[in-house]
Amino acid sequence: MDVRRETARRERRDKLMRFLTNWQGMTGLVLVILFIASAVFAPWIAPYDPNAMNIPARMSPPGWDHFAGTDQLGRDTFSRILHGGRIALMIAAIGVSASLVIGLALGMVAGYGPRWLDNLLLMIFDAVRSFPTIILALATVALTGPSLGVVLAIVIITTIPSYARVARTATLALRNTEFILAERALGASTLRIMWHHVMPNVMGPLLILAAMEVPVVVTIEAGLSFLGLGVRPPQASWGTILNEGYLVIRDAPWMVVAGGIPLILTTLGFTFLGEALRDIFDPRMGRGR
Amino acid sequence: METLLDIRGLSVGFGTSRGRVKALRDVSFPVRKGRIVGIVGESGSGKSTVLWSILGLLAGNAKVTGGEIGFEGGDLLQLDAAGLRAARGEKISVVFQDPMTSQIPVLPYVRQMADILYRRKGMSAKDKRDKAVDMLRRVGIPDPETRIDAYPHEFSGGMRQRAGIAMSMLTGPNLLLADEPTTALDVTMEAQIIGLMRQLQSEFDTTIVVVSHNLGLIAELCDDVVVLYAGEVVETGAVRDIFHNARHPYTRALLECDPARIEDVSRKLPVIAGDIPDLTGALAGCIYAGRCQRAMPDCHALAPPVVHRGSGIARCHLLEGPLADPDWPPPMEVPTVPREAGTPVPARPRTVQPPLLEVRDLNVRFQTMGPVRARLNGVKDPFVDAVLDVSLSVRPGETVGLVGESGSGKTTLGRAILNLLKIDRGSVHFDGRETSAMAERQFKPLRRDMAMMFQDPIGSLSPRKSVRALITEPLTIHGISGVDIDAEAERLADMVRLPHAFLARYPHELSGGQARRVGVARALALNPRLIIADEPTAGLDVSVQGEILNLMADLQAEHGLSYLVITHNLPVVRHIADRIAIMYLGRIVENGPTADIFANPAHPYTRALVEGVPKPDPDRRRPEAAAIGGEVPSLIRRPPGCDFAARCPFVQDACRTAKPPHVQITPDHGHACLFPLKQANQTTETT
Repeated sequence: MDVRRETARRERRDKLMRFLTNWQGMTGLVLVILFIASAVFAPWIAPYDPNAMNIPARMSPPGWDHFAGTDQLGRDTFSRILHGGRIALMIAAIGVSASLVIGLALGMVAGYGPRWLDNLLLMIFDAVRSFPTIILALATVALTGPSLGVVLAIVIITTIPSYARVARTATLALRNTEFILAERALGASTLRIMWHHVMPNVMGPLLILAAMEVPVVVTIEAGLSFLGLGVRPPQASWGTILNEGYLVIRDAPWMVVAGGIPLILTTLGFTFLGEALRDIFDPRMGRGR
Repeated sequence: METLLDIRGLSVGFGTSRGRVKALRDVSFPVRKGRIVGIVGESGSGKSTVLWSILGLLAGNAKVTGGEIGFEGGDLLQLDAAGLRAARGEKISVVFQDPMTSQIPVLPYVRQMADILYRRKGMSAKDKRDKAVDMLRRVGIPDPETRIDAYPHEFSGGMRQRAGIAMSMLTGPNLLLADEPTTALDVTMEAQIIGLMRQLQSEFDTTIVVVSHNLGLIAELCDDVVVLYAGEVVETGAVRDIFHNARHPYTRALLECDPARIEDVSRKLPVIAGDIPDLTGALAGCIYAGRCQRAMPDCHALAPPVVHRGSGIARCHLLEGPLADPDWPPPMEVPTVPREAGTPVPARPRTVQPPLLEVRDLNVRFQTMGPVRARLNGVKDPFVDAVLDVSLSVRPGETVGLVGESGSGKTTLGRAILNLLKIDRGSVHFDGRETSAMAERQFKPLRRDMAMMFQDPIGSLSPRKSVRALITEPLTIHGISGVDIDAEAERLADMVRLPHAFLARYPHELSGGQARRVGVARALALNPRLIIADEPTAGLDVSVQGEILNLMADLQAEHGLSYLVITHNLPVVRHIADRIAIMYLGRIVENGPTADIFANPAHPYTRALVEGVPKPDPDRRRPEAAAIGGEVPSLIRRPPGCDFAARCPFVQDACRTAKPPHVQITPDHGHACLFPLKQANQTTETT
């Protein structure tokens, strides 16, 4: 009698096994965990205060005292990278989840609501997407002055349309299915249909998209900080480390290298993770490869 | 007679996460040249797997573990990719189930058909075109010289299937495989396609292998039959031997369960209990023993003997060996499948109660283009009438069947009654209250009394919800408090005979029959008085459809429910409905008591439908001319006169000018025909 329940459990276990044996997925997972752990535990791992200056040891090359060398003020680059990861994680976590929630809500409204609302929202999404991110940031900062809040706002506003688009398409495909009609025949309210029946079915691809968006968000933050539009000195961020390293690249190239490696690893980690998840959970992709 | 295709000992397994599914085990049967062979079986019997093995087109996870497929002196299983490609299309070709998805939507037929002839290097493009035009003419496509430049979407469903047959016959194959060739088509189209295939078979002397679950189609079309069950051949034989002298209990049960073969009208249909066994485990004994009406203890352990007879084989202990029963098989009249002792026909008193649901002159229109476009194109009335002047009533405790082909507007009517669509004109009264003009907020309390069962059993269940959440959802939606939700879920599961273990499952883990039970439970959750059931047996196997119909009948007897059953399946509706309304192109053409409609149809369309159902009896094959020609016209081009005039065999000039009014022959029996087949003694005009 319970053969089928057994198969459902096995199917789940099978998916887990496929994920665990997927080298891409595992590499991604390890990198992502490393990134999160290093950021969360930065104050305990970091060997030095990220802002403590040690002028005699300025611009020292990587060695036993300083894993990644020091900058022109003698601050330990490794500690600054760890603390910079905190900024990256914060932006990624808040930015991605906020734009995911807003994008999901707007996308479902556009997909399920009346035609005119759909057209209006689509126009707004397209308008936002047509703005170059950096120019938008430059213009905003010119008005407000650089701050982490502005970076966060820019990140959220520019990534909402991509979630909304995916959510809208998925909702449109669902709105005329029989089970939605069946819910309407039962007398379910629109809110209930959206929350209980549309959202769970739209959520899957959106979460995978979110995993892939994390590195984009981290790069935007680093890029804005590099341009001096993001976090203010002396606070450490991967972007500011790159910026400071860039100024002394002829004398101390390791700073740029040390600031770039975590960016590359984080990007790789989330991309690998997202692709592995998509291959396993999205049956339309990756079949017959 | 020469054997064209000889399948011997074919075994195929599918590698899945649950282990190897032994989908076919030791399947052997010959296909003699010039015959039409039908492979019949329920879902999961492996009938399609046989077809794809012949073509070497099995899924990637399939593995042929043994056997051979002899064809023209060679073994198809041993051919390399190039050899297979040479055989496919040229010597063996296929007619697919769904012509919509098996034809290329972006290429016109002329291009698709020329591409089929790509190996004929010597043929010029003009020769290919001529050959294609000729073939289209032979499959009965009117005006093929111009229609050949059309795209698949410009053809109707039946035309498309005709074109599909033309494409498969183009190369003059020796063997034609047909995978459920009529399942996607309507009854009247089905009869035409059966006629066409028989005619082509005799013209081209092709050998045809047809895969189907439809016993009527098999009986009408085939010369030989192979019965598959759970990946094994249980019986083979000439079509008359199978239908008149079935020797395997499974074949017997299949025949006895087919509603079209049950002559006496009865609310209870026989069913084959149980499910197809799990094919991943070790299999011993007779594969059918678990569900067999005559199973003996040894059947589960000993492999059944292969018993030969003149025209085929059967694998059953009852026929030979120590367990043989000289009285088996009993004559066809003696039922072997236990049947619930149902009251034959509950003689319902002609109730004088007011109808529970009354629909009067209902119209539903769909907009075909926006107002601006209509103005630009000079279209005055950019609407089509999906439902036109429909009047219908359902009394308490009564089952009314709403019958029609696809595009007849029957589903639209069902949805309009439930206020899921906007009504253009007319009225719907439920329990004496006008409901058609109600806003959703006013209508919501009424939804407790009117429930709907949707056509697709699995697709109408929200995929991320457990069965428990699904069947108690109506209670949550209507804010029923003071009940124990878990207890309620179990009560409902008991009511539809769904084991409690299923409550924790999700829709994709259910079979069609189980999902249908969940749909019934959801409909019943709020103790409704009327259930609108849209194709309640669609997509279910013969053995399971009886279970669902019996369940519906039991619930009706227990709770005094009324049903409005929307279906195209006449044999089923004959057993369950008290009254029938026949719809054609959005209009009711005839309505009346079920027995009357079947015995004395007044409207020619009704007669065509009643006679259009293929009889699961090879001795009652209809002459080809019996099938009505043509197809349901598009709603956009609704004829000015009688909608059926273009296809009617008795059409007269008056039919083409005005819509025939609805006429009552007796108080119960009405029709909309100017020249009805059944003249009433007391014809009374009501319109």
